[in-house]
Amino acid sequence: MDINLTQEELSFQAEVKEFLSENAHKPGTDYNEWRLNWFKVAASKGGWDVPKWPEAFGGPGWSPTQHYIWEQETSRAQTPWDLPFGLSMLAPVLMNYGSKEQQNRFLPDIRDRLVNWCQGYSEPNAGSDLANLKTKAALSEDGTHYLVNGTKVWTTLAHIADWMFCLTRTNDTGKKQEGITFLLIPMKQEGIEVKPIITLGGSHSVNMVHITDVKVPVENRIGEENKGWGYAKGLLAHERTGLAGISRSIVALESLKNQAGSVKRGNGSLMDEPTFKLKVAELEADLMAVEYTELRSLANAASGNEPGPESSILKLKGTEIQQRLQRLTMEAGGIYSSAWGMSNVGPSFARSGMSGYLSSRAFTIYGGASEVQKDVVAKNVLGLKK
Amino acid sequence: MNFELSETQSILKDSVERFIGESYSLDKRQSLVKSELGFSQDNWKKMAELGWLSITVPESTGGFGGNQIDSMIMMEEFGKGLVLEPFFISSVVAGQILCDLGNQAQKENWLPRLVSGDCQLTFAYAEEQSRFDLEDVLTRAKPDEEGGFIIDGTKSMVLHAASADAMIVSCRTSGGQYEKNGISLFLVPKDLQGIHIDSFETVDGQRAAEVRFESVRVDMNALLGGEGNAFSTIKRAQQSGILALCAEATGIMESLYKDTASYTQDREQFDRPMSEFQVIQHRLVDMFMEYEQCKSMLLRATLEFVHNPDGSSRSIHALKYLVGKTGKFIGENAIQLHGGMGMTEELNIAHYFKRLLTIDILFGNSDYHLEKFAA
Repeated sequence: MDINLTQEELSFQAEVKEFLSENAHKPGTDYNEWRLNWFKVAASKGGWDVPKWPEAFGGPGWSPTQHYIWEQETSRAQTPWDLPFGLSMLAPVLMNYGSKEQQNRFLPDIRDRLVNWCQGYSEPNAGSDLANLKTKAALSEDGTHYLVNGTKVWTTLAHIADWMFCLTRTNDTGKKQEGITFLLIPMKQEGIEVKPIITLGGSHSVNMVHITDVKVPVENRIGEENKGWGYAKGLLAHERTGLAGISRSIVALESLKNQAGSVKRGNGSLMDEPTFKLKVAELEADLMAVEYTELRSLANAASGNEPGPESSILKLKGTEIQQRLQRLTMEAGGIYSSAWGMSNVGPSFARSGMSGYLSSRAFTIYGGASEVQKDVVAKNVLGLKK
Repeated sequence: MNFELSETQSILKDSVERFIGESYSLDKRQSLVKSELGFSQDNWKKMAELGWLSITVPESTGGFGGNQIDSMIMMEEFGKGLVLEPFFISSVVAGQILCDLGNQAQKENWLPRLVSGDCQLTFAYAEEQSRFDLEDVLTRAKPDEEGGFIIDGTKSMVLHAASADAMIVSCRTSGGQYEKNGISLFLVPKDLQGIHIDSFETVDGQRAAEVRFESVRVDMNALLGGEGNAFSTIKRAQQSGILALCAEATGIMESLYKDTASYTQDREQFDRPMSEFQVIQHRLVDMFMEYEQCKSMLLRATLEFVHNPDGSSRSIHALKYLVGKTGKFIGENAIQLHGGMGMTEELNIAHYFKRLLTIDILFGNSDYHLEKFAA
């Protein structure tokens, strides 16, 4: 048992820190130009622009510990915004199940951040029960294309996406999971209608997507017909581990303490008030523990073992902690937390308090609702039968 | 011992219910939220015609002479309907202060118009640094040579300030920043020179404003009650305000747990209604239990306030604490059980939850009152 980083890991950490500080965005310079250039510089370090990709596809081939270090350092530093859909969600599917041709066609643009992808999974009647999806893909008689019809919902950033990776129904006899096909569909075409859904934080990021008589060439099918569920399942597991956000929560806790510390109460601050202070302390204790849960899971992976039981709780605990952070930020904002959209009322962190908290309620819904996650843990980890 | 409503109370409840059924579909409400005023003048007039704006005004001054139980009944229903009209701040809070402290002339000048719906009042008590402490007052009122006062300072989160005709403003006339003594209340017409109103929409779709007073001169008639000893009245206004807000919140929580229960019965996942899963059933039972706790505490605090106002402050602290805490619990779970649908503005759920969150920060949040309760 040893939690210290090795000499090599320490020098890797120093290298990452140096890279991040040297390439931070300089105020006053063009953000987009910096963003695209940042990825180029990261690529020249040997795949740092695609840290999670395997070496065979141009990734850096880091150890789990190196990934952890990267995660920690990048959550503290300023890195350009990036979207997970193409890069972390579709790319692994392409690498594992796509044809050589599909890999050559799609991966380079994903890597260069030139094409935006969205995920066409959930449907009005397929939420937690995703396999219940009904969007129909009918193979044409000559076998050249599928005719796709159906509705997807909660599709994040569909309104800016160029492509959708989409689960469709190609067979509705037998087990639900065995009639699903994984298709890649261009978004900018007739028959695709994107309708915004305004969520309770007041923002537009999710959409309803109606697909009407859209022809999708068979070349855009990943793997075999009716096997899409298996490809997507691996991807869901990937999505879930990425959602714990523990390094980011550690940084967020620090800013919460600073913000609450800036709220004056008599001679002290909000951080001196017992009820608030104790809630922050409870959260910090939980966060310290889950940080080690993540390390245990990581150490396990580093020695090449199957994920241990501890890793199954990461998304559950991690998202719960993110929500508590948002809740305390809202509470710290006091009377100003309900003043949204105002630029000059009260302290700036307070104004977005309620909308941040409201948006955070989705964390325990998307990527598998917590209730469903717990079913999985009960069944797969504790071995409890229904 | 009897918790049944009297006949008049039942009639009141039914008439509010009917009003909401007729005038408060979610679509209508949301179009009011988007309007500049943020509520409907027609509804406001109708509330006056139905006599609701005079309910808590004493009979001696032309009112109905009702008490906190009557406003509780109305506010619970207003909660279920997500009513936007400024009944709470204008009639319950400001109206109460006016009735408590106003002299004959002040009452004659304002009360008839208040109950007829021709004018609307608000109460400006919070300041940026004060958080939830009513005695933390920096806004100053200095006597001038002609017997009037000059007001300087800024009030925060003044509810419906833009549409109010006048506001009751807490000002320091003597003493230090945190002293209970030395606070006076002024009834300030909104159109006086030097008043700047920066209005905005709050998360729950209502309106509030930062109000800056720059050497605003008021005459002697603006002073409500004695100089420097308004704190006990402010405290009492806070208490009746809390009771009204908690009644509204209790109505909202009732709708939230019921709507969620019925949604889980309609929504099928894994080939059966969600309500057949034990984890869902137990969660709904928890929501129901916590709602009932709030309802009981609401009745306890309200009845104590009516029968023994001076002895009710612990119950009122406990109520506001419980309602703040339970509001988050029930709201969070209502959203969780609605899944993605709970995250949209299409159902009442999100709007109910936003109102509960806003209620928590009015007149002191859950933590604040728990500390007062424990002290």
